[in-house]
Amino acid sequence: MLAEIKNVSKTYESDGNKISVLDNINFTVEDNDFICIVGPSGCGKSTLLRIIVGLEKPTSGEVLFKGELIAPDNPKVAMVFQNFALFPWLTVKENIELVLESKKHGEEAEKVACKYIKAVGLDGFERVYPRELSGGMKQRVGFARALAVEPVLLCMDEPFSSLDALTSQNLKDELLMLWADASMPPDAVIMVTHNVEEAVYMANRIIILSHRPGKIVADLKIELERPRNRKDPEFYRWVDKVYSLIV
Amino acid sequence: MIFPKATISEIIGLLEVVNDSGGIEDAARLAADFDLELDEILPSIDGAELLGFVKVTDGNIELTADAQKLLDTGIRERKKIIRDKVGGVEIIKELKNKLIESSGHKMKKEDTLKYLQNRIATTDIESYFRIIINWTRHAGLIGYNSDSEEICLMSRE
Repeated sequence: MLAEIKNVSKTYESDGNKISVLDNINFTVEDNDFICIVGPSGCGKSTLLRIIVGLEKPTSGEVLFKGELIAPDNPKVAMVFQNFALFPWLTVKENIELVLESKKHGEEAEKVACKYIKAVGLDGFERVYPRELSGGMKQRVGFARALAVEPVLLCMDEPFSSLDALTSQNLKDELLMLWADASMPPDAVIMVTHNVEEAVYMANRIIILSHRPGKIVADLKIELERPRNRKDPEFYRWVDKVYSLIV
Repeated sequence: MIFPKATISEIIGLLEVVNDSGGIEDAARLAADFDLELDEILPSIDGAELLGFVKVTDGNIELTADAQKLLDTGIRERKKIIRDKVGGVEIIKELKNKLIESSGHKMKKEDTLKYLQNRIATTDIESYFRIIINWTRHAGLIGYNSDSEEICLMSRE
């Protein structure tokens, strides 16, 4: 078992009112899991992801990573953000090297950065600043930066939702190629998305959250062979099934 | 001439969705499937056609053998195919030759824009510059240094 989400609840307080966002979430993450968390907007799925990576504390419950309480600086967990979160004053390579600073130095950091720049197809863009990049290339930097720390668990918060439809299709396929490559990190992925089709396309397991406060409505194994085809009737049966559990 | 305003990622994304439809798809249906205006998807179709990845007849987009080859390989190998294809595009060939002839294999952005302006009829040459550099960087052919505002030949590995 890689990670365990145990009785996680989250409540926010605003003007003396308590707003419950997540209610008693329980699941485990195993090796080779590609989990998509889906649910209606406001169901707390991004909050749940932030709790899983240790960026936020649950009001009650806990997240264990390999049996220990998750810490925000856990080097074995990496995050990819919807808005890329790149430093505009750093080049592509510098953005990636920065996350390696605490662990690797000089030539070694450069070697690792170059490895992941190539893996995501960013070679040729090393010295380019984020402002010069299209959205697709920016998110490739996001992927390379997350992979460069060689995480065991990769968490992604709506990584494709700022991209146009075609670019997003291209990046999904490339990410799945990296995922299929056993020599590449991570061992497991948790991705938050509001797009059901995207979840069925990517995941081998879908966790469906209810309206706020988010509770787990279903935890489905997606038994579709890869590569998946959106035009396949079987694909649509899964999409329908997930929708019927959300609505 | 007209140059398609689509990034390499959009073009490959287009090939992937046409592939899902069995290698041939109607442009209008594709646009509808992705909730895009035809105008929004046309540059990607034109770009894919210019690179020899699709044939377009009567609104039908059909993948070529080269597109299939691209889709069947990994990210690293895709780069090589893109390099060959982008290197064969006339305006990029011309730009590359100009760079080979120029001192230090560099050219000021300002001069590049003037050159492109003579070849592409547009009032927004800057956005075409960005797209062309997107293609040539992907291909590892021509880079751009935004500090010195110069384009340059990229060294081959």
